[in-house]
Amino acid sequence: MSAVENPRTDVAGGTDGADGSVTFGLTVDGTAHEVTARWDESLLTVLRDRLGVRGPKTGCAHGRCGACAVRADLGDGGHVLCACLVPAATAAGGTVETIASIGGPDGALSDVQEAFLAEGAVQCGICTAGFVTAATELLETNPDPTRPEIEAALYGNLCRCTGYGRIIAAVETAARTRRGATS
Amino acid sequence: MLLEAPRFALPETLGEALAARAERPEAVVVAGGTEVMPDLLWRNRTAAGFLSLRRVAALRGTATDGGELVIGAGTPVAALTTAPDGGLRAAASSLGTPLVRTEATIGGNVVSALPYRNLLPTLLASGATLELTSATGTRVVPFDGFVTAPGVTGLREGELLTAVRLPVHVGFADYAKVGRRNAQFVATVSAAVVSRDGVARLAFGNAGPTPLRSDAVDTAATALLDGRATPADLRATVAAAVDPPEDTVASAEYRRHALGVLAVRLVTRAAVDAGLGS
Repeated sequence: MSAVENPRTDVAGGTDGADGSVTFGLTVDGTAHEVTARWDESLLTVLRDRLGVRGPKTGCAHGRCGACAVRADLGDGGHVLCACLVPAATAAGGTVETIASIGGPDGALSDVQEAFLAEGAVQCGICTAGFVTAATELLETNPDPTRPEIEAALYGNLCRCTGYGRIIAAVETAARTRRGATS
Repeated sequence: MLLEAPRFALPETLGEALAARAERPEAVVVAGGTEVMPDLLWRNRTAAGFLSLRRVAALRGTATDGGELVIGAGTPVAALTTAPDGGLRAAASSLGTPLVRTEATIGGNVVSALPYRNLLPTLLASGATLELTSATGTRVVPFDGFVTAPGVTGLREGELLTAVRLPVHVGFADYAKVGRRNAQFVATVSAAVVSRDGVARLAFGNAGPTPLRSDAVDTAATALLDGRATPADLRATVAAAVDPPEDTVASAEYRRHALGVLAVRLVTRAAVDAGLGS
């Protein structure tokens, strides 16, 4: 486990005394970790600053921008959520899949990622992992989404570069490609 | 107990949760974390520890019991976006974002008890009741009166909100809010309507320190519904009944006006639904 020794103390909650720690198991992208964190630390802080998992990004840190979106199963079947809003220790024994689980090994891109590249849906990139995560979840539950359905599914992800048009086009392209590949 | 530490408890059963509540009265009860985590980040509050209800599966899910829809307090708002109640559906669908709705719970929305919370006017308009459970048993109280001040409720020491009960009615229910922008906005003011058997009942959010309704407003709304009064009559009655806050988001005068607009809008929708309007 590649731990970062001095996690930022300004990301969630305040500082704590010696009894402020919690130790729990967490599986991230298929790797089991034993995590020791402050009791009030967010899942995002644990992922990025304690485990060195940098796919989820710190954007707004309060659930508005979706840059930290990951797929997580915290004992309720699994869904995409904002890692910044989840007290990390409530994920004890759970599994988290970040953008690293969406792409293939050795940097291979998923069909959704390829579509984002092909459509020019990536500029600065800080929102991209979150958008791809939300879009991938959408296409798994709804393989042929309408434009309003795409917009609704991506409502929790903000992009300050693209104006969203290229991102929506990318999701439409990914859906079309995926339907073509399976029909 | 799935996990226990000096400042953290993660129960799996209601019994464990109630025991932890009694043992840790100073701990903040957290469900989804969507309010508490930003509050800690921004130093809006301090917390001595967490009692997390996230892993108590018995608190999640909805069922019908007689004439009531029983919603476990840990049910995520996302699950309410397809609820049979139109008001609940509209209020849930316009809360936060899809990524917030999977975590935010109905229980958190109710117990946090802030005037702009989406679900509160809907619960007040529909005559909801709350199941409050402690180690000594469960009491059922009306939602009307449960919130006593912004962020303050009638929840007693050792108690947890375990379920919200809504009368299942055949009729029309809806919710509307206005804010400072069209995306991801917190309600500057909000309103909910329930209309059945020709009688309209309205409730308002951010119209006063606590969720607000009044008999005079419902009389005027019902009169508008069946054409005995004008929209101006209802707006005037609403303006007289509400006591909205004045803050950096909006003036009390703006809120009073907007509440009247929302009231007329919702009663008009109810009239159209009943085939009474055009």
